[in-house]
Amino acid sequence: MHVMEGFLPGPWWQIWFALSIPVVAYGIYRLDRLIKENRGILPLLAVAGAFIFVLSALKLPSVTGSCSHPTGTGLAAILFGPAITAVLGTIVLLYQALFLAHGGLTTLGANVFSMGIVGPVVAYVIYKVGMRMNLNFYAIVFLAATLGDWATYVVTSLELALAFPADPGGIVTSFKAFATIFALTQIPLAIIEGAITALIFKYIIQVKGDVLAGCGVLSNARLSKIRGTAA
Amino acid sequence: MRNLLDDYALISPLRYRNIWLKLSVVAFGLIIGVSSVSPVTPLFIALSMGFATVFFGKTPPKFYLALLLAPLGFAIAGSIVILFFFGSGSEVFSFEVFGYRLTANAGGLEMAVLVISRTLGGMSCMFFLALSTPMIELFSVLKRSRIPDSVIELSMLIYRYIFLFLDVAICIKYAQTVRLGYTGLRRSLYSIAMLASTLFIRSYEQGEKLYIAMNSRCYDGKLTLLDTKRPIRVSEAVLTSVYAIITIALFVR
Repeated sequence: MHVMEGFLPGPWWQIWFALSIPVVAYGIYRLDRLIKENRGILPLLAVAGAFIFVLSALKLPSVTGSCSHPTGTGLAAILFGPAITAVLGTIVLLYQALFLAHGGLTTLGANVFSMGIVGPVVAYVIYKVGMRMNLNFYAIVFLAATLGDWATYVVTSLELALAFPADPGGIVTSFKAFATIFALTQIPLAIIEGAITALIFKYIIQVKGDVLAGCGVLSNARLSKIRGTAA
Repeated sequence: MRNLLDDYALISPLRYRNIWLKLSVVAFGLIIGVSSVSPVTPLFIALSMGFATVFFGKTPPKFYLALLLAPLGFAIAGSIVILFFFGSGSEVFSFEVFGYRLTANAGGLEMAVLVISRTLGGMSCMFFLALSTPMIELFSVLKRSRIPDSVIELSMLIYRYIFLFLDVAICIKYAQTVRLGYTGLRRSLYSIAMLASTLFIRSYEQGEKLYIAMNSRCYDGKLTLLDTKRPIRVSEAVLTSVYAIITIALFVR
């Protein structure tokens, strides 16, 4: 869910930039260190970024035909962690604004905050907690992607509500209003996206599971266990 | 299906104009538009930028209008909320939904109109940049800024791979569609997941190959780009200043 260009007034678009820039800067710092350790990671990150973009350029099979951006970021958060996903997300959001007219330039800060930072962080935390608790792998991926997507949508509603507080009732009322109006599309969409992300992992594990082992997402023991249950 | 604005930028005659001039026009329009308090200024910006894109940039008008419609869905959904929950003043109209009484008052209406006009103004500035400047040229600008090399390098590689993967994705999607892969929701979900995972595996392999290919050609973490010098013409400078003066006059008024 991208906030369109020009939608956020006055101090708010600058505030979201101010909140996003430190996180992205930290992501860049992590990225630099990672590249120094192992230069082979740069092409991999690049293709991951392109993958996120291409996923978002394809329309999801859903009622509204909305874009599927969070699918890619949820995937990237699980593969590379939230700090690097923030950098990838920023680049992809800029391309989406310039190539597909999704989102905008002044609202880039707000979009990075909701889609590049909060969503992936939520997805990553759920993924880590789920893995620790030894739940079913696909259920974890589904939950991580769906809840990460919902977190994105809640934050976007909050961004809009803060910028446009309702006159009687203030921010809480307008937050409820924005959240309700976007819930119509976002709640079913997030479930669909969660299902797709889980299916993507299923196919990857079946066809070429060693890729995930190479990224450090799954240990080999875990991989063969999932394969055993899936077969 | 492949409808990237970058493709139009590559054939636009405005591509060969000074990039700093274009960037400053866009930045000026974006900032003035978003901080304007009356809907007239953003609408004027939208008109001028739209005219520049279609007339000087030779973007097909039909395509341009279709582009402008895209953000409208979001803008209208957001504006409806603003209309009913924002501002005060005399009541304009009201009606009842499920026992709730929704009232739109003058302040809310004004704000909703303002927000829609700002969105239009901002989008048209962004389209001007997107439809007149290929990303390749923006990279040379980015290289001069203080953004770390690793990020620029990453963006350039992403840019390159977008086009490769998009072609692969479109091919797969056509193949799936002719095999009735997108009839019904359940089947579409399986199809799109299969597409995405195949794409992911292919991209991973491509990434490994790219690393080997670049390393064997002495890649040291930096791709150099040459940028061409394009002086600003007098007519461009005059036109830009006239536009800027009118906009500022509308803004201050």
